[in-house]
Amino acid sequence: MVLEATMICIDNSEWTRNGDYSPSRFQAQAEAVNLICGAKTQSNPENTVGVLTMAGKGVRVLVTPTSDLGKILSCMHGLEIGGELNLTAGIQVAQLALKHRQNKKQQQRIIVFAGSPIKYDKKTLEAIGRKLKKNSVSLDIVDFGECDDGKPEKLETLISVVNNNDSSHIVRVPPGPNALSDVLMSTPIFTGDGDGGSGFAAAAAAAAAGGMSGFDFGVDPNIDPELALALRVSMEEERARQEAAAKKAAEEAAKQEKEGEQASSSHDATMAEPDSSSASAVDDKRHKLTDDETALLEQALAMSMDDPKSTNVAVADTDMSEATADDQELAFALQMSVQDNVKDSSTHSEMSKALEDQSFVSSILNSLPGVDPNDASVKDLLASLQGQSEPLQKQNEDKPENEGDK
Amino acid sequence: MDSAAASAIPRGQVDLVDFVDWSGVECLNQSTSHSLTNALKQGYRDDVGLHLESDADEQLLIYIPFTQVIKLHSVVIKGPEEEGPKTVKLFTNKEHMGFSNVSDFPSSDSIALSPDNLKGKPVNLKYVKFQNVRSLTIFIEDNQGGNDVSKVQKIVLYGTTVDTTNMKDLKKIEEH
Repeated sequence: MVLEATMICIDNSEWTRNGDYSPSRFQAQAEAVNLICGAKTQSNPENTVGVLTMAGKGVRVLVTPTSDLGKILSCMHGLEIGGELNLTAGIQVAQLALKHRQNKKQQQRIIVFAGSPIKYDKKTLEAIGRKLKKNSVSLDIVDFGECDDGKPEKLETLISVVNNNDSSHIVRVPPGPNALSDVLMSTPIFTGDGDGGSGFAAAAAAAAAGGMSGFDFGVDPNIDPELALALRVSMEEERARQEAAAKKAAEEAAKQEKEGEQASSSHDATMAEPDSSSASAVDDKRHKLTDDETALLEQALAMSMDDPKSTNVAVADTDMSEATADDQELAFALQMSVQDNVKDSSTHSEMSKALEDQSFVSSILNSLPGVDPNDASVKDLLASLQGQSEPLQKQNEDKPENEGDK
Repeated sequence: MDSAAASAIPRGQVDLVDFVDWSGVECLNQSTSHSLTNALKQGYRDDVGLHLESDADEQLLIYIPFTQVIKLHSVVIKGPEEEGPKTVKLFTNKEHMGFSNVSDFPSSDSIALSPDNLKGKPVNLKYVKFQNVRSLTIFIEDNQGGNDVSKVQKIVLYGTTVDTTNMKDLKKIEEH
């Protein structure tokens, strides 16, 4: 929250016509200037910002230091590109403008955008730097655009001469996909030496990145604190619920061999809840995948059985104790068969063995009132479940027997 | 003998360090490790190890506002032989001067310090010019040896106050 008067020196020379920063160097510079003005005025309402152009016909002060953001933004329009950068004159004029600031208590700062090559030698720059230091003016340099040999070194020496207590910075922005303003936002130029504009900078950064207002949940707590609070609370509740569910699922996965249905039911429940990748262990993921199949299977069987009990399985809660024996066996079988399909780890080998026992499976199926083993769809189901040719043969053997029964 | 006389306060005058408005004291071109308080503040200024030093070049611009109007009689500027100040210009009641406008108007007084002065002999000023002083600007133009860095050990201001109301002393009249 340093009280500061800032002069921004813009480079509007021919070199800024280049398009290696999108949309053009000049446009990127203009955006960065807008952002900086906003940040400065936000960090302290008494801060003033002024703008001048360094190239063109000559150094021209567009607006003297003012806290009126609108004036600054409007003067950025209609700027013409041309001429050559006159760095020394620009800095000197900026110094003069700062000297005549209204509020003498403000610290003086100059921000220079250097997009074109620097034709001055180090000595001249050092002399200017010393003058700035003597008058306790801080200097920030944004080095972008042209990078001819010597330019970074020259600017570095300039900064080192001016630098007093780390108040002056130089930032080199290479051309690339990132906008000039985005890169600047993380630099000390924006964050204003630690505190100060960092709040604004953080919010602006988030806004640029996510297109949101920069706050959690897209709601500004300042504007609507109740909504923001409600959103945050509900998010935490959701997270807690998911963690609890995941924990339970993890426990049940460990007990899976004995009580397979538990896992599947609980996973149905978790499926109904919004997905949270962080909560899910590898087991969960796998079960979720198979959950779809399981749910479909169960639903199909439920419909064919027309049994309200089985529908419970499809939409079951995690409380396993309420399930009946039939449901248990059915779900157990399905669970095992599905797992067998996915070719799981050895923990399920016992179940797959049980599945292979054809008699066991057929006894289950026969116990179900509505299921006709002769039904083609059931046979296909069984075939897919088993995934083995042997059981199929066995089924064919069973078929004539059943036909005989009928 | 000379030094004894030098350290004695001129008759009728007081050390004006009590009337300095410390919140507004400024010094341009001072080095951060050796700042103005080392030369001005009581206790600091008597410490031989602490001094005021210039930074980028040999010039220093010191701005001292006062809490009330004073008359300035004389000053003592102590410094090392080589790097101590030589040409010193004083300006009254000019706020926020910069190095660029020291030559814009004539100084209230301009003194050339001799090595004696640097040892502590007070310099008598043109008293008539310093009758109504709210703030004082001290411009150290160069030093004795022509070095790049000027050093000042101690700055003492002697004078009297004009009887203006010190607002801090105002007390509320108690109702009986």
